[in-house]
Amino acid sequence: MKIKDLMIRDVTSALATCKLVDLIGILSRHKITGLPVVNNNQEVIGFISLHDIIRATLPNYLGIINSDSILSEFIQLSKSLKEYSQRPVEEFMRKNIITIDEDDNEVLAADLLIRNKIQGLPVLRDSKLVGIVTLTDICRVLMNNDENKNN
Amino acid sequence: MIGTITLNPAIDVILEVSNLKINHYNKVLNAHTTSGGKGINVSKAIRGYGRETIAVGFLGGGRGRMIEEELRGLGITTNFWHIEEKTRSNTIISDKKAGEHTLLSEPGPKITEYDLEMLKSIFYRVMSQCSAVTLSGSLPRGVPVNIYGDLISIAKERGVKTILNTSGEQFIKGLEKKPFLAKPDLRESNRVFGIKIDKERDAIKAAKEIVQRGAEIGVVSLEQEKDIIATRDEIWFAETDYHEIVNLIGAGDALIAGFAITLTEEGKNLEEAIKFSMACALASALREEEEFGSREEVEKCLQCVNVKRL
Repeated sequence: MKIKDLMIRDVTSALATCKLVDLIGILSRHKITGLPVVNNNQEVIGFISLHDIIRATLPNYLGIINSDSILSEFIQLSKSLKEYSQRPVEEFMRKNIITIDEDDNEVLAADLLIRNKIQGLPVLRDSKLVGIVTLTDICRVLMNNDENKNN
Repeated sequence: MIGTITLNPAIDVILEVSNLKINHYNKVLNAHTTSGGKGINVSKAIRGYGRETIAVGFLGGGRGRMIEEELRGLGITTNFWHIEEKTRSNTIISDKKAGEHTLLSEPGPKITEYDLEMLKSIFYRVMSQCSAVTLSGSLPRGVPVNIYGDLISIAKERGVKTILNTSGEQFIKGLEKKPFLAKPDLRESNRVFGIKIDKERDAIKAAKEIVQRGAEIGVVSLEQEKDIIATRDEIWFAETDYHEIVNLIGAGDALIAGFAITLTEEGKNLEEAIKFSMACALASALREEEEFGSREEVEKCLQCVNVKRL
C-alpha cells in the first residue's frame, strides 16, 4: 500500500519564524504534540514537538527523564518557558528530520518510525508537505488487512 | 491541486420532516449531520469527481474537529486555522411531503485580526501547491469585506487562477481585484450591481458587468437550472433538460467545482467547460443525499446539458 492511501491528509504546519507562544496555541487547539516546520513554499525544513521545547528549556533534561519527578525542576521550567515564549520555532526545531515520499510504502514508513522512535513522518510530494503518517495509521491498516484475510 | 477557502464553515444538521407545521409539534423522520459551507462543498464535489483538493479556512471547537475528520476521511487535504470560538451550525429542514427545503443559517464565530493574519499566511503557503482556488461563501463576524480581494491578490501573486462566488459587498470588493471567474451568490437576494435578475436579459447584463469590472469570465444563474456565461467577446446560455431535480443544495458549489477542474487543470475550451460544470451541478442535484456526483454520474449528466452561444 502506498503512503498516500493511508496518510492523514492534513498539512497543518508552522513557519520557522512562528513564536513559541503561537506554536503552543496551534498544538493545543489541534490537540497534537508536534508539527512539521515549513518555508513559504510548503517545503519541510524541520519538525518541532513539545519535547524539543522542554528539552531546550530544561538544562538537566536528560537527568529528569530517568528520575521519577520533575518537581525539583518545575520552577526552572516555568521560568524558561516564559522567557522563551517570544522566541522563534527555528531555534528549537530539529533540522535533520526524516521524511517519506507519498509513493513509498507502509513497510518503509514502519521501519523509519520504529527504528528512529518517532511518532509521525511528514509525507512529501516534490519535497512539499502533503500529509503526515503515524505509527497508529500503519497499525490500523495492518490490522484491517489481517481482518480481511480472516474473512 | 485545487484549493478552496471557507471562512465561515458550518456543521449542517439536516432534519427530514413530513409536512412541517410552524408553531406545532413536528416529528423528525430522519436526522443527519454533515460538514458544510460553500468552499467545503466545492472541495467535496472536486473530490467526488476524483481530483485532489485542499480546504483552507477557519474552524473552531469540537464541531471544527468533526469537520476536519470528515473531510480527511473523504480524501480532502485540510489546512485550517483553529480559532477560539466554535464553528457555527446550519439547520436544514427538508419537508419530504411539500418538497421544500428551509435553511436556517447561524451568523458564525468572531474572528480576530490575529486569526486573519494567520489565515493569510497559511493561504500564501498553500497557494504554492495549487493551480486554482475558489473563494466562496459568507463572512464570519470580524472579517472585513475586502478579504476576498486580499486573498485574490495573494493567489494571483503566486500565479494561481481565482474563482469568486459570494454575495453582497464582499463580491463587489473581490471583483475589484479582477478574479479569473466570478459568479454572484443570489440565494439571499437576486440583485447584483442593482440589477434584479428576473429574465434572461437581466442575467446577460449582470454577466457582462462582471466582465466589465475585470473578471475574464462572468457567470450568472437564472432561475436554478439555467446559467448565463459571459466573456469579453462571447455570451453563452446553458440549461439542463432534466427536470426531476431532487436536491438543489450544493448544486451551485458543484458548478464552481466544475469550472475549477476544467478551466485550470484540464485547460478545456469555454464551451466544454460550461457543459462539464453544468453536468457537475446536475449530478449533485439528482442526489437525494447531501453528497456530490461521482465521475460516472457527472459523465452521464453531460448528455442532459444544452449549451448555445447567443
